Amino acid sequence: MRGKVAIVGYGRTPYSRLKPGQPVLNVDEYIAWAAELALEKAGMTKADFDGQGLGVSHAEVAHTVNWSAATAENLGISPRALIRGDQGGSSATSMLIRAASLINAGVIDRALIVGADTPLGMPSVAPGLPLSPERTRGVYWDFQGPFGVMGATAQFALVLKRYMHEHELSVEQLGKIAVSNRYHASLHPGAIYRERFDLNDYMASPVLSDPIRLFDCVPIVNGGLAYIVTSAETAKKVSDRPVYVRGFGEQNNHYPGSRVFPDLTETGFSQSAPIAMEMAGVEHSDIDFFQPYDDYPFISMMTIEDWGFCKKGHGGKFIEERNLHFDGDFPLSTDGGQLSGGQPGGANGGFMPLVEGVCQLMGEAGERQVKDAEIGGVCGFGGIPYGRPGRSCISVVLGAEA
Amino acid sequence: MSIVPNKPLPEIHELTKPFWEGAKNGKLLMQKCSKCGTVNFQPKPWCIECGSRDMPWTEMKQEGTVYSYTVSRTVAMNYPGWKEELPVILCLVDIDDGARMYAQVKGVDPEDMKVGMRVTAIFEDISEEYGIPKFKPL
Repeated sequence: MRGKVAIVGYGRTPYSRLKPGQPVLNVDEYIAWAAELALEKAGMTKADFDGQGLGVSHAEVAHTVNWSAATAENLGISPRALIRGDQGGSSATSMLIRAASLINAGVIDRALIVGADTPLGMPSVAPGLPLSPERTRGVYWDFQGPFGVMGATAQFALVLKRYMHEHELSVEQLGKIAVSNRYHASLHPGAIYRERFDLNDYMASPVLSDPIRLFDCVPIVNGGLAYIVTSAETAKKVSDRPVYVRGFGEQNNHYPGSRVFPDLTETGFSQSAPIAMEMAGVEHSDIDFFQPYDDYPFISMMTIEDWGFCKKGHGGKFIEERNLHFDGDFPLSTDGGQLSGGQPGGANGGFMPLVEGVCQLMGEAGERQVKDAEIGGVCGFGGIPYGRPGRSCISVVLGAEA
Repeated sequence: MSIVPNKPLPEIHELTKPFWEGAKNGKLLMQKCSKCGTVNFQPKPWCIECGSRDMPWTEMKQEGTVYSYTVSRTVAMNYPGWKEELPVILCLVDIDDGARMYAQVKGVDPEDMKVGMRVTAIFEDISEEYGIPKFKPL
């Protein structure tokens, strides 16, 4: 399916931390705002999606069980195909794959894909537990919460600790990712935290769940994102700079080794990335920038390893030796990532690597533009299985040419 | 008056009840597949290895090895009652001949925790009828 579909519009609303003076929008308003930005970019209107595709990502604050159909109702669009993203941080990329398949099969010609959430201000069952009720019921929660699992930070700290037991990796190497992301955020007007910091500031940030510290964690925000994907034929008619989906790969519920005692130092990207790169017909050296799902710096590092940019266990050294800036030899998370940009709910942060990849390849990244960017690698990483790092690992290769 | 419990308690379902009752009686139970022998944890609807639904709750050895651990110094995405226990040592324990599980480690300084440490189960009551396993260094 190389080059059969292309992205012709994208939108990312300003984010909010609900600080005094910041606007208070609900999730439906954020969806409409993000969709409006994407439609403007594509030169389309909502009427262009009647009889076409509408993709909707999960929201913690979803107020009905028919979330995608309710969103169609709110937007006044009558789509032929509804696509529902429920794969956490890989929802945006999974909906891209579903839409591409529907387009390639001739069911639809184009799809508007939206995702927004307002996790801040959400009613909570307990102070310090800003989670929708669905997260705190069922067997999954019963065998975590009562055992002292303190959320994603503790779950990922267990993965990181094991990695550091098996491989050489310093806290400073991870800090370099956080510092570089903040540098890129300083060049991105849409990032929520833009003041630069250095490695000393990173090291001084408090340890929350050993070895993960505050500056390793994504800040939660309210906000929305959207993009428009269409057949290559339509893309050429409506856009001067369509961004082609060159390749994709998806791995869900990956067990590295045994199902009972899996190896936590490997993610499903070890499976999905080679498939995406083969479909795209690219080598590692062809990739001009890389947008991992950076909910924690070591997830970026493990993603780099599992994509095969370096050998397993060499990620720390790779980070240390490469220049991660937009004008360096390995541009990483050029929008500031989620670490400095903010995460608009657990199911929508995954729009950010994709939207930034499109923005770069359209040549619209302003001060952080990667020069002559032609090929980009972007990732979705979603959900935390019991005792393992990521439920869905999606790899996508985007190209300025088909 | 708050309706929020100080620390989270599991909802007891028919599927998981034997685990909590076992812990009350000082036993560590996990589902063991009678077809392929795979031990499943957390509780599953069928064996994740072979798909058999015949997985009787089976008493496990109470010793295991710490696969990884973390020392949580703040309460995040959990109930505020944990604050009194900070720092909370959370680990993944590989139960001998069993499966891997999340559990707290007690009776050890965070500085003395190590990957590969041998641990043994201890049991605490969470109600009149149910208990929860934790671990201490062997």
